[in-house]
Amino acid sequence: MNSTGMSALGGGGGRSWSSTTSVSASGKRIQKEMTDLNMDPPSDCSAGPKGDNLYHWVATIIGPPGTPYQGGIFFLDITFPSDYPFKPPKVVFKTRIYHCNVDSTGNASLDILKDSWSPALTISKVLLAVRSIFTNPDPYNPVIPGIAHLYLADRAKHDELAAEWTLRFAS
Amino acid sequence: MVTDSITNASIPMATSNPKDFAKKKRANRSAKLKQCKLDARREQWLSQVKNKGCKEEADGLVHARDASEEPRREKREVSIHHYSDSDSPSNSPTSPTSSVLGSNSSGTNFTGSSRGSSSSSSSGGSCSGSVAGEDDDGCLDDWEAVADALVGTDDKQQQSNPSSDPPLVQLGSHPELGHRKGSGVEISRPNLDRVEKVQRATPNSRAWKPDDAFRPESLPNLSKQHSLPMNSGRQYGCGGGVWVCKKVISAPSSCPICCEDLDLTDSSFLPCSCGFRLCLFCHKRILEDDGRCPGCRKQYEYEPVKGEASLDGGSVTFRLARSCSMITRS
Repeated sequence: MNSTGMSALGGGGGRSWSSTTSVSASGKRIQKEMTDLNMDPPSDCSAGPKGDNLYHWVATIIGPPGTPYQGGIFFLDITFPSDYPFKPPKVVFKTRIYHCNVDSTGNASLDILKDSWSPALTISKVLLAVRSIFTNPDPYNPVIPGIAHLYLADRAKHDELAAEWTLRFAS
Repeated sequence: MVTDSITNASIPMATSNPKDFAKKKRANRSAKLKQCKLDARREQWLSQVKNKGCKEEADGLVHARDASEEPRREKREVSIHHYSDSDSPSNSPTSPTSSVLGSNSSGTNFTGSSRGSSSSSSSGGSCSGSVAGEDDDGCLDDWEAVADALVGTDDKQQQSNPSSDPPLVQLGSHPELGHRKGSGVEISRPNLDRVEKVQRATPNSRAWKPDDAFRPESLPNLSKQHSLPMNSGRQYGCGGGVWVCKKVISAPSSCPICCEDLDLTDSSFLPCSCGFRLCLFCHKRILEDDGRCPGCRKQYEYEPVKGEASLDGGSVTFRLARSCSMITRS
C-alpha cells in the first residue's frame, strides 16, 4: 500500500531510469549549466561548448574596467572531467596574461578549482571567480612569484606591464 | 430494499447497504443516490472546517432525496451543507480506506499540525478536481463511475467490519461514536460534532477496528491527514495530482548536483545541518570521495542526521525503518 502511494506521489522511478540510461550523469548537469548561462550570463563573461563536445567549452572574459586588463578579451578553455561536478573543471587561459595567479601555460590558480571545489559550484561562478582575480590578484598565493613580488613592491610598474601585455595579446 | 429506503425517508438512505446500490447501478434512483453520496462526501470534506448546523443537514437530506439534481449542482459549485447528513454515512466507507493508507505511508509528506483543515482541504481539492471539468450533464455519468468505485470500497469495509449491521453500515460504523459524544441521535447524523466525528471515526474505522473500537478518537492527527490524501489519490485519479503538486512545492525539484529530479525519498533527505539538499546518489558519490557537504564544505556527519530524524517524532517512525537519515518535512 505504501509503495503504491509513494510511487504515485513521488515518481521516483524516473530518476533512476534516467540516470542509468544517460551516457553520463555529468551530461545533464553540464547541459543545465549551459542553459542557465545562456539565460543569465554573468557580466563580461560568456561560455559555451567549443563544438559538439559538451565537455569542452570556450569562455571569454572581458578585462574589467579600472584594471590593467581593461579592454582585453581573454579566452579560456574549460574542460569538464567525466565525473563533473564531483571534480572541478579545468580552466586554462588561452590568451596570455600578465598575472601572478596565472602560470605561463595559462593555468589559473584558483582555490575553488582545487581544494575548495564544491559540486555545488557552477561554471558561472567559476567565471566570476576568474574575473575577480583580474581586479583582485592574490599575490600571497602566486604561481608566478616574480609578478606577485612586483605587484606588492611596485604596483604601478606591475600595472604598466600588465596593461602592456593586455594590449599586446588580448586586444 | 434500496429503493424503499430512498422513497421512505432520508435515514434509510444513509443506512442503505452499499452492496445493494452496486447491484442496482443502472437504476436512476441508485445513480442519484450514489451521486448524492459522493456529493455529500465531498461536501463534508470541504466543509469539515466549517461549522454546519444540524438543521441544514436535516433539510439537506430531504432535499437530496427528493430532487437529486439540485443538490448535485450546488455541491459541485462548492460544498453545500445540505448533504452533510447523507454524507456522514457515505463518508465512513471512503475515509476508512484512506486512514489505512495514510497512517503508514503518508507520514513523511505532510506534517500533522492541523489535521482537520489540511485533510479537509486536501480531500476537497482532489474531489473538486475530479468534478471540475465536468458539465452538469456529463457529471452524472462520471459520478456514477466514481460511485461504483466507492461502492466497492464500501463493500470492502463492510467485509472488514462484520460486526456492524450491513444495512446500517454507513451510519452503523459509528454508532458508538454518536453515543459517546452524544452529538445527536443515532439515526440522525451527528449534529455539529458529526462532521468531526464522522471524519475521525470513519477514516479510521478500517484501520483501527481490529484493535479497538474506541481508538478513532485517540488517533493521531497525522495518520488522518496522510490517510485522506492517499485515499483520495487512490479513489479518484485526480487526487494524486493534487498531492504531487503539494509535494513539489515543499521540496526542491531537482538535485543541484546532478540536476535529476528529487523523488520523495530524496526530498526528505537532509544530510547536513547547513540545509543543503541533494539526491541520495550524489550523496553517496560524495561520501565515497571526500565526504564534504557541497553546500558548506564541511565533512558530513552522521549522528546529527539521525538526531534530526528523531526530533520529528511520531510521523517519522515508519520512515526510519527505511532509512536512518530520513526526516519528515513539514
